Amino acid sequence: MRYGRTVRALLRPRGPRRLLPVALALATAAACDVPSFGAPDPASEEGESIFTLWRGFFIASIVVALIVYGLIVFAIVRYRRRADDVPDQKAYNIPLEIFYTATPVVIVAALFGFSWVTEENVTELASEPQNRVDVVGFQWSWQFVYPDEGVTVSGEPGEPPEMVIPLDEVTRLELTTTDVNHSFWVPDFLSKRDLIPGVDNELDVTPTEEGAYVGRCAEFCGLDHWAMYFSVRVVPRDEYEAWLAEQRADPDQPLEQPADEDERGTVS
Amino acid sequence: MTILAERPDVAAEPPEPEPEEHRARGLLAFATTTDHKRIGVAYMVTAFAFFLIGGALAGIMRTELFSPGNDVVSQGRYNEMFTMHGTIMMFLFIGPFAFGLANYFVPLQIGARDMAFPRLNAMSYWLYLFGGITLLGGFLTADGAADFGWTGYAPLSDIVRSPGVGADLWIMSIVLTGLSGIFTAVNVVATVIAMRAPGMRMFRMPIFTWNMLVTSVLVLIAFPVISAAGAMLFIDRNLGAHIYDADFGGSAILWQHLFWFMGHPEVYIVVLPYFGIITEVIPVFSWRPVFGYGGIVFATITIAVLSTGVWAHHMFTTGAVLLPFFTASSMLIAVPTGLKFFNWIGTMWGGRITFPTPMLFALGFLFTFLVGGITGVMLASAPIDFHVHDSYFVVAHMHYVLFGGSVFALYAGIFYWFPKVTGRVLSEGWGKLQFWMMLVGFHLTFFVQFILGLEGMPRRVADYLPEDGFTTYNRISSIGAALLGASTLPFLWNAWGTYRGRLGRPAGNDPWGAQTLEWYTSSPPPPHNYDDLPPIRSERPVWDLKHGPTVASREPVTSDG
Repeated sequence: MRYGRTVRALLRPRGPRRLLPVALALATAAACDVPSFGAPDPASEEGESIFTLWRGFFIASIVVALIVYGLIVFAIVRYRRRADDVPDQKAYNIPLEIFYTATPVVIVAALFGFSWVTEENVTELASEPQNRVDVVGFQWSWQFVYPDEGVTVSGEPGEPPEMVIPLDEVTRLELTTTDVNHSFWVPDFLSKRDLIPGVDNELDVTPTEEGAYVGRCAEFCGLDHWAMYFSVRVVPRDEYEAWLAEQRADPDQPLEQPADEDERGTVS
Repeated sequence: MTILAERPDVAAEPPEPEPEEHRARGLLAFATTTDHKRIGVAYMVTAFAFFLIGGALAGIMRTELFSPGNDVVSQGRYNEMFTMHGTIMMFLFIGPFAFGLANYFVPLQIGARDMAFPRLNAMSYWLYLFGGITLLGGFLTADGAADFGWTGYAPLSDIVRSPGVGADLWIMSIVLTGLSGIFTAVNVVATVIAMRAPGMRMFRMPIFTWNMLVTSVLVLIAFPVISAAGAMLFIDRNLGAHIYDADFGGSAILWQHLFWFMGHPEVYIVVLPYFGIITEVIPVFSWRPVFGYGGIVFATITIAVLSTGVWAHHMFTTGAVLLPFFTASSMLIAVPTGLKFFNWIGTMWGGRITFPTPMLFALGFLFTFLVGGITGVMLASAPIDFHVHDSYFVVAHMHYVLFGGSVFALYAGIFYWFPKVTGRVLSEGWGKLQFWMMLVGFHLTFFVQFILGLEGMPRRVADYLPEDGFTTYNRISSIGAALLGASTLPFLWNAWGTYRGRLGRPAGNDPWGAQTLEWYTSSPPPPHNYDDLPPIRSERPVWDLKHGPTVASREPVTSDG
């Protein structure tokens, strides 16, 4: 496998937990705390907000779906044809119609409220981010530039680059592309942002869990789109400093081997 | 093949039909016709052929994704395939099939003799057919078909990154089929406004006709934009302009705005007609009138209005759109859509429901489309979209809407109206087999894709790694897709056998005990559609004829026409 070793080692193993269907997770919802409904455990503050919103939306959806399914099933069973007489032909019920128009408006307004608050929360940029990384996407890999540190990490097709950022600090990502549209997506941060020519995008990430996380390009960008992997490693401040020093000292060295099993992605 | 059953009380002397031997037959008839029914059938047969091609492409893609590694096709070919799959399904199948149905049934439902502009109608069909052939022609060129996704995002679609002729053919096809759609839309609007039979007021029209009217207005809003955007892309590629080129003062993101300004109304263009079918089928098999007729028309119009203001929810992650506005408008559109669900449930409520194949497909639609609608509300939330945008979650959502929604409703429509078109009712046994295969196959294929997307699988990937952990779900999805694809075989057998008179049963004028005007005439209808018309005093004249106007449901019976 051409894209083998680096990515392979960085990808988090998927335990049986990942294979649980959403429905099964639902069934156990009452017993333990609220399940993730298929979403990854968030590894950043922003991801945490989105994760919470996702769970709220999912629960609201399940309630609405069960009500509608219940009504449909009830109607099918209760009103299946058992007699050949012509049934009541009344075809309107104004109060009922107003009720079932107004109720969804209220539900949607509430969902919008939660969504708006979360959105403000995750798109708000810190006034003074502690770190800055310029993310450059190109066909078909990534370059991570640390302008304040004089460090550059470049990937090439088949050699995914690694971005290292410090734990519990705000890192500002400046996203640009040199050719076509790409999209920077780290599923464990539950967030992505596009790289578009002529559009300057900025994204703050505040990682809360040590570990290495796989990233992928989400916007179709041509032939090798699927292979535009990268990784993000979250380390404590001192390790981060050490890594920067190492990079500065020897920028042309191949990337260090990925961390050991026990240091990798955390499952809380 | 024609079974001319008895026609109730022919009051007036029927006009002399054209002598059979003077009417062109076979290929010549097909090539020269301006008859709305023949054009309608041509549309539907052509669209279904494109559906089979698009489905075959999907089958190859699912086979490729069955396991990590390049198994079946190269990455480049794979990229061509999902591009063509999306383009074919959106522009050549699901929309044109609805226009085929509209061609056939809108004039019948309002008691007209033909469409308003029969020759324009024929031209629309030929533009559509050759537009489709133009698109497929890409596969025959040296560099293959277009391979930048059905959304054709700039700058990937520029001449440097996509130098192939296939890309230009793709653009020309979009422009041609767009023109075809515009002409048909003009035709439908004119027909509905100007050619209704005496007594057929706007608010007595069947809901399918209403929905086709609103759909057509949406086409008139949306399609000129994509035709213009496509023309500009063509100019960029071939005449050296820089409209979408950010390096030279152009704007790459402009393409996304223009595309989705067409693209989101387009979603409703390919869904509203199918809502209309559901609203025709459910009352008939519940022995009830449409519940909340006024409300459902209001909902359709509201959906159309809102759909012109939601396009940027496809662009939440671009960082270039006002998030709260498009979140709010996109969520709001769930309200009229939800309203339709309550209308459908209200129609069944208190009815005498039977479950022949058209009704089964309609119920399959209700169950499946609901998931599509609800996940649509999730996607309308910008922060949730930040995670699942451009992932398999979106792929699953769109298929729940367009396959679980539109295609289930499309089959409901085929099974419901096939008797009117051919004079024979499709076989129930084969129909039910097809339904259950489709339902199981569909959910197997697409439900797991929600989970894949949440776990991080991007869409439009030609491959993935074993370590990604996507293999199991992809296998389930591919097995489901095989079943889903196989479900087309019983249908083809059923349609052919019934058409040839070996399966099914003769239809008569009205095999379902239906309600709307098209069931008054013979099956198939004569070239002039109606020898005479019944009095039209409510939205279901044929029901009134059988059960008397005393049970007319929505409005008091008046003696005026």
